[in-house]
Amino acid sequence: MFRQKKDKVPVSTRSLGKRIYYYRGFYLMFLPVLIFALIFYYAPMLGIRLSFYDYKGIKDPVFTGLKNFEKMFSMKGFWAAFKNTLEISIIKLLINTGAAVVISLLLNELIFLRFKKIAQTIIYLPHFMSWVVTASVFTLILSPTQEGLVNAFLTTLGFVEKGNEIYFLGLRNLWRPAYYVINIWKETGWGTIIFMATLSGINPELYEAASIDGADRWQRMKFITIPALMNTIITVLILNLAKVMNLFESVFVLQNHAVVRQSDVLATYIYTQTFNSGALPNYGYTTAVGLVRSLVGCALVLICNHISKRIRGRGIV
Amino acid sequence: MRGKRSLLSLILVFVMVMSLALTGCGKDDPAKDPDVSETDGKSGNEDNKDAQKDSDSGKDGQKDAKDEVKKPEKIKVMVDGTLVTQENGRAAFEKAWTELTGVEIEIIQPDHDAYYDVVGQTIASGDWPDVILLGSTYYAGYASEGVLWDMTEAWENSDMLASGAIPNPELIDGLKIDGRLYGITPARGNGCVTYIKKAWLDNVGLGVPTNYDEYLKVLDAFTTGDPDGNGVNGDTYAVSSAGLIGKEAPYTNYLPEFYQDAFPSFYMNEEGKWVDGFTEPAMVGALERLRDAYQKGYIDKESLTNGTSDCRNKFYEDKFGIFTYWAGTWGTNLKKNLEANGLDGELIAMEPIAEVGAYLERQAPVWCITSTCENPEAVFDIFFETMLDGGEGQRLWTYGVEGVHWSTVAEEVCGNTYTEGQFHMLENLEKEGTQYTKNHIDPMLSIRKFTAFEDPGAWQIAPEARNSQETFNANSKLVPLVLSTEEMSQYNGDLTTLKNEIVANVVTQGMDIEAEMQRFADEGGAEWSQMIVDSLNR
Repeated sequence: MFRQKKDKVPVSTRSLGKRIYYYRGFYLMFLPVLIFALIFYYAPMLGIRLSFYDYKGIKDPVFTGLKNFEKMFSMKGFWAAFKNTLEISIIKLLINTGAAVVISLLLNELIFLRFKKIAQTIIYLPHFMSWVVTASVFTLILSPTQEGLVNAFLTTLGFVEKGNEIYFLGLRNLWRPAYYVINIWKETGWGTIIFMATLSGINPELYEAASIDGADRWQRMKFITIPALMNTIITVLILNLAKVMNLFESVFVLQNHAVVRQSDVLATYIYTQTFNSGALPNYGYTTAVGLVRSLVGCALVLICNHISKRIRGRGIV
Repeated sequence: MRGKRSLLSLILVFVMVMSLALTGCGKDDPAKDPDVSETDGKSGNEDNKDAQKDSDSGKDGQKDAKDEVKKPEKIKVMVDGTLVTQENGRAAFEKAWTELTGVEIEIIQPDHDAYYDVVGQTIASGDWPDVILLGSTYYAGYASEGVLWDMTEAWENSDMLASGAIPNPELIDGLKIDGRLYGITPARGNGCVTYIKKAWLDNVGLGVPTNYDEYLKVLDAFTTGDPDGNGVNGDTYAVSSAGLIGKEAPYTNYLPEFYQDAFPSFYMNEEGKWVDGFTEPAMVGALERLRDAYQKGYIDKESLTNGTSDCRNKFYEDKFGIFTYWAGTWGTNLKKNLEANGLDGELIAMEPIAEVGAYLERQAPVWCITSTCENPEAVFDIFFETMLDGGEGQRLWTYGVEGVHWSTVAEEVCGNTYTEGQFHMLENLEKEGTQYTKNHIDPMLSIRKFTAFEDPGAWQIAPEARNSQETFNANSKLVPLVLSTEEMSQYNGDLTTLKNEIVANVVTQGMDIEAEMQRFADEGGAEWSQMIVDSLNR
């Protein structure tokens, strides 16, 4: 009975114009946002048309139909970048989220509040460092010399011989693991915030009841904490999955010529095509690559929205 | 109500679709001038040539035109941060320039780091300045697109060329594209010279290498011996560089002794044909030398990921002994920083070893006049002839304005005392505690010497800076200016990525050169390279 009443949406009998006039104050407040969105989000979309043109920024664009797309789909570099974007982003997302959950659970187990706060502050800090600084720091830490902290440590332990240090950022099979570790260091702390908030919202009576029933620490975590976190974990994964195509800065500052095949993502591919071609760039081609990147990102958002509706009962957009 | 909403939505969608479809090509772009249109099958270059021929038929015609040329009231100039900035007294520079020429100057000076972004936007907008400073890629690209005025005749008939005051006019000839000139540089592009620590050579008992064999001996001694004299053998290496291949021409300038005659990009060979040096046998030899040296530990293991500042710091920390770096002022900087670390700062700026022959000089940024400039001949006279007049104009572009940037008054500046009449630079308005060093033109690189009077700032140049610059100037050749073609725009990005990857794979991962060259062919590199070569030779 109640549900039926809720579903019944009242319909105004006034015209649209009159309603707008009636709520003019709200519309006036909304106006700056609308203008901002139109200028900075919608107007630039007109540039999408360049993907169907040859355009070097001087003469009028020359319509070439689907030529840019044909070229793009025939280039190995594009497909490598496309594959890398998805692989690196998704693996990074899973690892970072997993690490954030683990760290959150560990922090949650800390009894001394002061130490917990200090630990939280310390692990949040790397998030505020720019990627340029992070890359410089890790280039030193991972240096293939005895001055590199990791190699010196491995040498001390006897895993690496002096003079045969490992070039973590220069070897094709080690670049990605190194990249993921750096990402964990930088972003995991920040990622714990949302999980810590969820953990603090779990009713303590559940733990008390479980303790009375004889549950040990591990059992309390397994049967209370993790199930309580699950909805948040899925939400975080879904929300971040929609952003996987946006990878650029972290890769750009850490990649080098030796690992370009393992590290080149769509955004760095666009950058190379635009600025490193040694000639006036064809903005038509780079716009086409950008368009495909946006479309894939858009598709991911819609898929995530659909998954979210199925799992959580509400969408993300 | 629902109907009205649907109608409103439909109208909005229609407007968006139509705007997307119709906003394409209607702007009134100067580059759309029939002279540079594509429909007649001529390139911008050819049309510019024709237009130039029509307007200037021979020297007399040029002279007559010169006489008839009316001085513009104002010149609009676009330049990067290599000219004194607004904060550093640009207004005084503009005033002095106007007093000198009788013409007003409007300077557009975007942020130095974002200069080419703004240049691109400005050219795309169609509101072009009269004069613009361009790097070599943009110079070649804009020239081929008809953005730049063909100044061949203006240059050939100029007073500065006729007077013989320019000792190396071939530096300007090197800027010609298909025999036509679209810009002039007042200074050489400079390049890198190989510095070697004298103390290290003395410690290992070797002389300055003159050929690759001798060079290898020095590399070995610097890597396996005790060149720094700390009593430990093998704790140093010989060479470091920022990357194994440069991001822009001349590409090989940080490791010239290994690349030698190989050039990994496009150049015109002795037969006058464009070729891709990466596909030539010389490149295989260069890769072998680089791989061997890297594997023997002669080259810094981190060269792949080094930035230039990393290399400099390692050099100052005495980790390696041979550093190929910029000639001129950097000779002094390297010395001072070594001394600041308590090390022997004596460096020898090596002449190129026999196999290298000559260091590569990069193309300097070029001053151009745009094709929309209303009175290009007059702008040429006023702008270039004063910039390189060997007198007051050149002093203005080289050192700035008296009383603002330099002075001859007896005074103390930043702890240095100067006597009356002694030329010296003043304190930087933006960076307190430091003195200006120059304005736009580096006095050591200027293509014209002062003739009206002695170079007032010559005495300030440190001997090691002068020595390295003179070594470079006497032993360098200009890197070729590569044209911008359609194929270049289309394929060179992917091609360059593939080339760089192959160099890195061979050198740092020790991969087989033949297999990597085969991959170059299999993955389309050879095809893209050939297409670009064909387009350049067309």
